[in-house]
Amino acid sequence: MKEYFFLQYKMLNRKMIDFGIPLLVAYTLIPIVFILLSKYLFSKTPFASYIFLLLALGIISKTSETKRNDFLKSIFNTRNYLTLRIVENLIWSAPFSIFLIYKKQFLFALALASLSVFTALLNFSITTNFTIPTPFGKKPFEFTVGFRKTFFVYPIAYFLTCMSIMTNNFNLGIFSMILIGLICISYYSKPEHSFFVWNFSLSTKAFLFEKIKTSLKYFTLLSLPITVGLSVFFPEEIIILIGFFVLCNVYLATLVLAKYSAYPHEMNLPQGILIVFSLMFPPILIGIIPYFYSQSVKNLNPLLDDSN
Amino acid sequence: MIQIKNLSKKYGQKIVLDSINLEFKKGKVYGIVGKNGAGKTTLFKCISRLESYEGQIFSDFNKLKDHIGFLLTNPFFFSKITGKEYIQFLANARQVKLENIEDKNIFDLPLNQYASTYSTGMKKKLALTAILLQKNKVYILDEPFNGVDIQSNLIITELIKKLKTLGKTVIISSHIFSTLAETCCEIFLMKNGKIVKKVKQEDFSNLEAEMKQFTIGNQIENLGLQ
Repeated sequence: MKEYFFLQYKMLNRKMIDFGIPLLVAYTLIPIVFILLSKYLFSKTPFASYIFLLLALGIISKTSETKRNDFLKSIFNTRNYLTLRIVENLIWSAPFSIFLIYKKQFLFALALASLSVFTALLNFSITTNFTIPTPFGKKPFEFTVGFRKTFFVYPIAYFLTCMSIMTNNFNLGIFSMILIGLICISYYSKPEHSFFVWNFSLSTKAFLFEKIKTSLKYFTLLSLPITVGLSVFFPEEIIILIGFFVLCNVYLATLVLAKYSAYPHEMNLPQGILIVFSLMFPPILIGIIPYFYSQSVKNLNPLLDDSN
Repeated sequence: MIQIKNLSKKYGQKIVLDSINLEFKKGKVYGIVGKNGAGKTTLFKCISRLESYEGQIFSDFNKLKDHIGFLLTNPFFFSKITGKEYIQFLANARQVKLENIEDKNIFDLPLNQYASTYSTGMKKKLALTAILLQKNKVYILDEPFNGVDIQSNLIITELIKKLKTLGKTVIISSHIFSTLAETCCEIFLMKNGKIVKKVKQEDFSNLEAEMKQFTIGNQIENLGLQ
């Protein structure tokens, strides 16, 4: 079992090196960034503990992947398998638990620890023929796949919007929109198999336009209950609402371009740095978007613009 | 028509394809045979422009790749996409409007289930259905019979014959000689990235024995089995 965790550690290191971050920098920066973001979240909303809990459970749920666990079950005996899964879940939830304790949210910390253990004990290998319906079947695949993987976030986001209306907290409503924006952005985090790009009988420019158009259309559709709700109940904040809606769309388009600017590889450090800078200072998007666009065209041309 | 002239491909220092010269005509079926690692899949990827190459490929089309339906040896599927959505995605990519997909489900696949949960043979059949519905002019089928049941094997053989009569160009690689002999107009034998033999339909009867000699030789004897 020790070897398993050592391998996981090595895999994590390799991922960070592939991403272009020196290990020393990564192990210093990640905790700092985590603490700063957590503090920011707790300063912004009274529901931070709930959000924190959901985030942690979202991360832990990654370890419940059926194929992976079937593989582990085939290697380890039941006792070792369960110990391994519990330890693994506790390690992933540890930063969140520690921060919750620091914030004196003992009940949430205890709930998180219990849920970490509980999810490790659950048997997720029961496969059903149930297919989660999506409104995106006509235009697969990013939103179809993404929606099915993250469908549980949408009721939470809409619930937060309702809470914001009931408690007259406009910021919470904006947060729910940003949450949906971030979830949609995550649908574009991994590059697809080159076969699925090659198949398009479109020029590179038309391909990118199509991808951006689809992403914006579907984000608009998913955030519609929030934008409508907030604009009806907070008409005086309509300009801010439109501003955030536009920003979410701009970042979504940027991420689509960022993905293809690294294609066929995953986004790495240069793209990451530029995106972080743009989050801190949005006007630099004016320079970043054309840069990502030109890189995307360069990377996609060999697959799409073949002419004899 | 597709004409390949002096096509070569290297991975670092390793030559994978070495000055390939081939011609594929409309309404003909071509077979490519060779051992694993002979360069068949790389050749297919180069024709499709999924891989870069040295040399030239000419065709009657402005963008050849937009007219190719490529069946990969191991078709790739997203984890949460149903069979129907996969077909829809590939049709959208080629701007083909599809209606009543269920009626075109000749392999009787569970189209509303996630494609990633299909068996190897079902995945192959789904991928084949999807490229057929793209209405391509050229079909490259890399091991179309692998993992497929006998009934579907017969359907695929008939499909290839149908594509030929419809004037499509079909290029197949397969390890099952009987299906190639039944469908192909010409078979090319590949070894170490080179086309070492071109065999016309009338000479197929000798080819199987020749291939056995060519690929196996005395290797089994060398094992010294007793």
